[in-house]
Amino acid sequence: MFRIEKTGHHGLYFPDLGIALDGSHPDAAATFVSHAHADHIPYNRKVTVHATPATLDLMKERGFRGKELPVDFGRKLTLEKAEVTLWPAGHILGSAMISIESNAGSLLYTGDYRTPPSPVSEGFDSPESADFLITEATFGLPIYKWKSHDQLAEEVRLFATDALRDGYTPIFLGYNLGKAQEIMHMLAPLDREIMIHGAGYKLCKVYNKYGFHLGNYSAYDREQCEGKLLVAPSSALSSGFASNVKRKRIAYCSGWAADESRRSQLSADALIPLSDHLDFFELIRFCKKIQPRKVMITHTPNPDVVQHYLTLEGLESEGLHFQIRQED
Amino acid sequence: MIREMKSDRELVLAVRFAGEGAFESISGKRASAGSRTIGQAAAQFCEIDYDVVYKACKTATGSHSEAIERLMENLPAATVKRIPKVHSLTQISELFEQLRKISSRIAKQEFLQKIWSGMSGNEIKFFIRMLSQGSLRIGFETKSIEAAISDAWHRELQQVRYAHMITGSLGETAVMARAGTLNEAVFRLFHPLSFMLAAPLEIPVAVPLENYVAEEKFDGMRAQVHADGKVIRLYSRDKNDITSSFPDLTQFFTSKEMPPTVLDGEICVYIDGKIQPFQQLQKRMGLKKPGKKILSDSPALFIAYDLLYTQGRPVFDLPLNERRVLLENQALKYHLPVSKQFRIYSENELEQSFEKALLHGNEGLMLKLETSRYEYGQRRKSWLKVKKPGGSIDTIVMYAHAGSGKRGGTYSDFTLGVRVSEDERYEEEFIPIGKAYGGYSDEELRKMNRRIKELTVEKYGPTLGLLPGLVVEIEFDDIVMNRRTKAGYTLRFPRFRTIRWDLRPEDVNTLRDVELLYRQKTEKAGLSNADHHSFFIPSANHFLS
Repeated sequence: MFRIEKTGHHGLYFPDLGIALDGSHPDAAATFVSHAHADHIPYNRKVTVHATPATLDLMKERGFRGKELPVDFGRKLTLEKAEVTLWPAGHILGSAMISIESNAGSLLYTGDYRTPPSPVSEGFDSPESADFLITEATFGLPIYKWKSHDQLAEEVRLFATDALRDGYTPIFLGYNLGKAQEIMHMLAPLDREIMIHGAGYKLCKVYNKYGFHLGNYSAYDREQCEGKLLVAPSSALSSGFASNVKRKRIAYCSGWAADESRRSQLSADALIPLSDHLDFFELIRFCKKIQPRKVMITHTPNPDVVQHYLTLEGLESEGLHFQIRQED
Repeated sequence: MIREMKSDRELVLAVRFAGEGAFESISGKRASAGSRTIGQAAAQFCEIDYDVVYKACKTATGSHSEAIERLMENLPAATVKRIPKVHSLTQISELFEQLRKISSRIAKQEFLQKIWSGMSGNEIKFFIRMLSQGSLRIGFETKSIEAAISDAWHRELQQVRYAHMITGSLGETAVMARAGTLNEAVFRLFHPLSFMLAAPLEIPVAVPLENYVAEEKFDGMRAQVHADGKVIRLYSRDKNDITSSFPDLTQFFTSKEMPPTVLDGEICVYIDGKIQPFQQLQKRMGLKKPGKKILSDSPALFIAYDLLYTQGRPVFDLPLNERRVLLENQALKYHLPVSKQFRIYSENELEQSFEKALLHGNEGLMLKLETSRYEYGQRRKSWLKVKKPGGSIDTIVMYAHAGSGKRGGTYSDFTLGVRVSEDERYEEEFIPIGKAYGGYSDEELRKMNRRIKELTVEKYGPTLGLLPGLVVEIEFDDIVMNRRTKAGYTLRFPRFRTIRWDLRPEDVNTLRDVELLYRQKTEKAGLSNADHHSFFIPSANHFLS
């Protein structure tokens, strides 16, 4: 069995292998980053990092200044004590699951993942099996079951066209990296001008570089934004984003939008449950497919529920407590 | 939409289901299926484990009905059992009636499962919300329904509201609005009127005290007595019929054989000339048919302080001082206990009277504007209350919940816990004792939010789970026993007093401390009423003094 330690607030460290995941460790011989969301990037911005080229590009846009060791999907990297392969995780552009093979057996670390994958990611693929599976379970309750991507895309486009028809400016709230680009990709067929919040704009260029079409977009310009399709993180609204536009309608796009309680907390006109994580049922299915000797569950206050279902499937599992979620 | 309802019956049901619930508020009818009964029935239907799976889903959504809706839609075991069909309003109403008549929990659960098999997840959610006489949570509450009724038939909103208050029934109001007979809305006996409520008095006093009369505030249960000869009905503050819980009071009023009368006042337990602590009354509150022993151990007394209807006419539109004269006349004639009124002219006197009231075993003071009408269903400044906090304890913040509205974007609601780490009855370190929503300044809230960030160990949608590290002192009105909670006690009106940056988690009060406070409260006895007459039964003498 692998010894697993927590490193920093967010990462894992395997002392027997000298490998750190999504966090840096002073003794680490190699540090891997699964994807470029803030809660998975090491605090130390100057550490040497193994990651997919897209993840490294996104990290640089977000202030990463360390040495880059790009690893392509599917290429086996041989380290001193282990062999490491990255698999497309379907979460956001560049996101990877990390598989580690060593004398102690094989281990698959999912990072954040989604299957079926986000259409603005490199898709989803995984090894056939693993001895140990460390999986996120952000939406690890049977109340979470997503609608199909096509259905959600239809909701997004309908919200936009209805708003424009009624003379309102539609605003989509979603995280800057991943969610914002997926929304833009959904809106692209409408062939209308899209404006995206500045921090997200830079990241869109990386998506373009990797061949993803995000429609006809420009960076948010307060004076010009009325009547455009606007995309911003939810925090932007309270700092004056589009506050000069009187007639606007707001759609909050997040897996948490599935919860009614969100309706009363946000003054949104629509809640679109668009998540970049897999749902409960997809999670259980994936664990069954991998058939590990043990599943270790993270990113949920309710590992008990996932455990309960895995036990029913004949899989051994336990909760692995090491970090908190910042943003879906 | 309500304009299109064909029959009066459908119109009544439509507005009732939207605004009141399965049954008319004033009917006293309730389905009495608790959330546990419903939750277990749903878990069984969906073939999931109640304790492990269902409870976690309920916690995540914060709502039984929402959790059930989604489980019903998501789980294959639940979808294959259901073939949704169209239900008319009348059919739904009949289902509620049938359910009401079932008494055993098992039979209730079987009945629920049977009818759910013909409903969509969404229908099941709203069915459950109506069943618990609660809000549908669609942002369309009583006020919106009154406005809709007013819009639908172009009636004055004021008139619609008045009719609703008088009849206590949205259904009846809608039917009258449609027929154009709102002006015929008359107050009728045995239809409880919404209670007039008191706002807290702010110190320093900003109201002209000379315009107010004072009474001591009894620590009992607010109630309305409707009497017509030998027919007596008692209603609680939420307009439930509680007559059967108080046969002693019913008997008292029956013996008076009063002409049609409505009294507003307080039910207290009264022994040997002393009003007993609220906790003793609480023992009787849930009992539908109290036995002989509890009736003799905890005899009830009704102290009247307002008169709403007398001699066959409503008097709630008269000013308080005129109602008071009528009340005293009636109390004199029928020997009814009534509150004592007195005058307070300065803040100094206010303080003295307040301390005296506490000494008498009462809860505090009421100040009532002499010229005020009975403002049913409203909480304005015509009635003011002065209460002393029941106590305070140091608690640990266990969970933080994202606020809404003005507090949106910050964590402003908190689940607070007491310590049980050395309590052999529990395995946990801390268990919840209550939730607090207010009482802090914006600055304190900001500071707490910064600390919360550091303590967060788990995030679940709008809720954060915290490591023990933030101690707050809370104030509450009272401690009540509540077997449904893990602690066995809940606090009434908990609110913040101060953040105790100086205290550590091990300084937090224990559940044993809470239990001790509870016992002290129940044993606390005030002075005999004979020594202070915070209420009295008028006789010719009293009017001389």
